[in-house]
Amino acid sequence: MTNREQPASAPVPPSRGKIAERLLPGGEEPDPRFTLANERTFLAWIRTSLALLAGGIAIEAFTSDLFLEPVRKGLAVVLLLLGMLLSAGSAVRWLRVERSMRNKAPLPLPLIVPLLAAAGALAAAVVLIFILWP
Amino acid sequence: MLALVTVSAIFLRWLPQHGLPILLLFTVSAGTAAGIYFTQRRRYSVSSHGIREEMHDADITAVLWTAFAGVLLGALGIGVVLIG
Repeated sequence: MTNREQPASAPVPPSRGKIAERLLPGGEEPDPRFTLANERTFLAWIRTSLALLAGGIAIEAFTSDLFLEPVRKGLAVVLLLLGMLLSAGSAVRWLRVERSMRNKAPLPLPLIVPLLAAAGALAAAVVLIFILWP
Repeated sequence: MLALVTVSAIFLRWLPQHGLPILLLFTVSAGTAAGIYFTQRRRYSVSSHGIREEMHDADITAVLWTAFAGVLLGALGIGVVLIG
């Protein structure tokens, strides 16, 4: 028996799927807490996008006596389009953040924040104009 | 999951005006919610084991599917508003 210490058995990394290998290549697995936090942020964006989808449907379904048809349809389409873009944008952001964490790079700026702010302000302005219009 | 259930219930409000195509939106929304509900125990278990073992793979399929469902619902909703 020698005094040499046996190397501690390092945990074997689980095999990653093809999609993960393709979309998240290189780097090393980040701390699981960060990965899960990234997923929670993604889910928060998805909730926002679902709220916009529900708002678009509600505008189209419940405001027939408040807005003219073109305004109603326009607002509904803007909200549904924004919900759709936000849903896709949240997945892109999740991917970019995950890649940054794998490569220990700075986190990217959230591009969907100005999109949401601008479109929200636009929709609110349209509603305000048509409510105050004599 | 609850947000998807709420959205699917709101889709049903469109049923009298737009008819059967709304059932497609309802199915996508309620089906995604059901998928989340029936897999949450397994995902919770995988996540908690990942934290314990300091090694956790990102669940890329779930993220992409959820985002795709949102995009699909938005696209179908716009189609219903403009065509229906």
